[in-house]
Amino acid sequence: MINKKILIVDDSEFNRALLVEILENQYIVEEASDGKEAIEILRQRSAEFSIVLLDIVMPRANGFSVLAYMGKYRMLEGTAVIMISSDDSGENMKKAYEMGAFDYISRPFDPTVVHHRVSNTMLLYDKQNKLEDLVIEQIYEQQKNNKLMISILSHIVEFRNGESGRHVTNVESITELLLKQLVKMTKRYSLSSSDISLISTASALHDIGKISIPDEILNKPGKLTVQEFEIMKSHTLAGAQMLLSLSEEEQKNKLVKTAYEICRWHHERYDGQGYPDALAGDAIPISAQVVSIADVYDALTSERCYKRAYSHEQAVHMIIKGECGSFNPLLLDCLVQIGDAIAKVQSSVAVYEDEFQMIQDAREKLNQYHLTSPLSADLFTFEQQKNGFYTEISRDILFSYNNNTETLTLNSRGAEKIGLDKNVISPKSDPIFSKLLEEPDIHRIVCKLAKTSHNHPDVNTDIRLFINDKEVNFHCVIKTIWTSENKPKQIGFAGILLEVNRE
Amino acid sequence: MDLKECYQCLGGDFEDVLSRLRSEKIIKKFILKFLDDASFFMLRESITNQNKEEAFRAAHTLKGVCQNLSFTLLYHSAEQMTEALREGDCEKASEIFSVVSHDYDKTVNAIKKYKNYVETENI
Repeated sequence: MINKKILIVDDSEFNRALLVEILENQYIVEEASDGKEAIEILRQRSAEFSIVLLDIVMPRANGFSVLAYMGKYRMLEGTAVIMISSDDSGENMKKAYEMGAFDYISRPFDPTVVHHRVSNTMLLYDKQNKLEDLVIEQIYEQQKNNKLMISILSHIVEFRNGESGRHVTNVESITELLLKQLVKMTKRYSLSSSDISLISTASALHDIGKISIPDEILNKPGKLTVQEFEIMKSHTLAGAQMLLSLSEEEQKNKLVKTAYEICRWHHERYDGQGYPDALAGDAIPISAQVVSIADVYDALTSERCYKRAYSHEQAVHMIIKGECGSFNPLLLDCLVQIGDAIAKVQSSVAVYEDEFQMIQDAREKLNQYHLTSPLSADLFTFEQQKNGFYTEISRDILFSYNNNTETLTLNSRGAEKIGLDKNVISPKSDPIFSKLLEEPDIHRIVCKLAKTSHNHPDVNTDIRLFINDKEVNFHCVIKTIWTSENKPKQIGFAGILLEVNRE
Repeated sequence: MDLKECYQCLGGDFEDVLSRLRSEKIIKKFILKFLDDASFFMLRESITNQNKEEAFRAAHTLKGVCQNLSFTLLYHSAEQMTEALREGDCEKASEIFSVVSHDYDKTVNAIKKYKNYVETENI
């Protein structure tokens, strides 16, 4: 119970002192002398407090205003409010409970009772929070494993195809972008955010049927003969057949159903000229329609053994002109609308986004059971996007390093100035990075980073970089980043490089 | 003069406060702290300035503090004061204020006496 924080809100210094006396031996106690001050503290860091002890009659903002504020911003889910008042009219008590107060203590209070009520409340909230974390972790873990299995499976096909596996990932990203745009533009296909994520995930399996195509045909550099093309076309039914051979129980799974649609029909065309079933219009499930357009786009913009890569503009132009068969006009619209975002897919490395997305998905799932506040997910997205924006517009060289993914990330300005990619995985073994810094300098910084702690996270030092073999001096400020657990772990760092002006 | 005598002198309930706060040390600490509590002065000032809202809050706080310390006498007059102000009855409130004022002086004098006694004992 040590480290738990309590906020005592009472306008009488005397009353606060009495509560502090009772509680300070076991908890960290902070005080606010009226409702407005309490709201100010909670607005900035409500998550720090396990319990708020709240008086009712106070100047500026009274206890009910504080309670209403906490209710409005969904703070009551993580922080318990215990009202303390001498105003124990049934009306006030009822009002307090209705507004979400956890408990109500009447004055004059017995310190032992206050103590017990506080510690019981803490135990209960603590248990709930731990359970919540556990569930999030498990959903997260499970999703990660699912994605991993799908990824392995789809990459097997890709590698046999002599591709890098990039195609699967691209199709997945483009599918997701198209679907998100589609729901913005029409309500025709009732797609929830979990449907979108399901279709995107299943899209990775679109070509599993290719495992049944002989090597000579699959990797033939020249044009296929009519006969060979017929065999090639069979990958759609082969893929569908593979999924049909799963157990009945497994076939009920949404992911399997969606994957079946995609495998079988991702070569159908809107006008009925596709294969294998010559379905037309919305007889083709929307999942397969979207994946087919994503598949064609990525095939056009990638280099293949039988063709060169087309530019984004060329590819979009060819698709719209119908050179690759006809598509749903709505989806063509989507493709044009989000052209920029799609063009970026090919060049991006989505290292973090995936992780963030999975955590977000886990949170969303929990929200369905009202277990966690969507506010925290919103705040998370807000912070993430805000940081991204600040980082990108900055004229300074900003960088961060994530210990888990071993990735060094630079902002555009930094990447350009130093001549590195924006994301450098395992910088220590990167040839460009190792030319940038001298070994003793690296060693010195690593030592300094190792000496930081949760309470002293900063490193200030000068470093010398060799950019294009020219020596440039920088002042370097780094802040190490720690988890917010009881025993904080270092999970990375963020920093800025300031060029030292040459005399 | 010990704590119990001090409570007798100011019209409080020593048994009650001891049963709740459980330690003479804490009781002593907080009744001495009562001398610095501003709520009575805030009450007096807001009565003079005819600030009803602030007067209500001050009376309410004074009542709460007395309740915590089992200052029965002052608690009762502060409570009547709070109720009069809650009802917005200013005439009644200023009538009761003279009672509160009287009870407050009685309470504070007893505590001061006790404080003197404790301090000289310590020397």
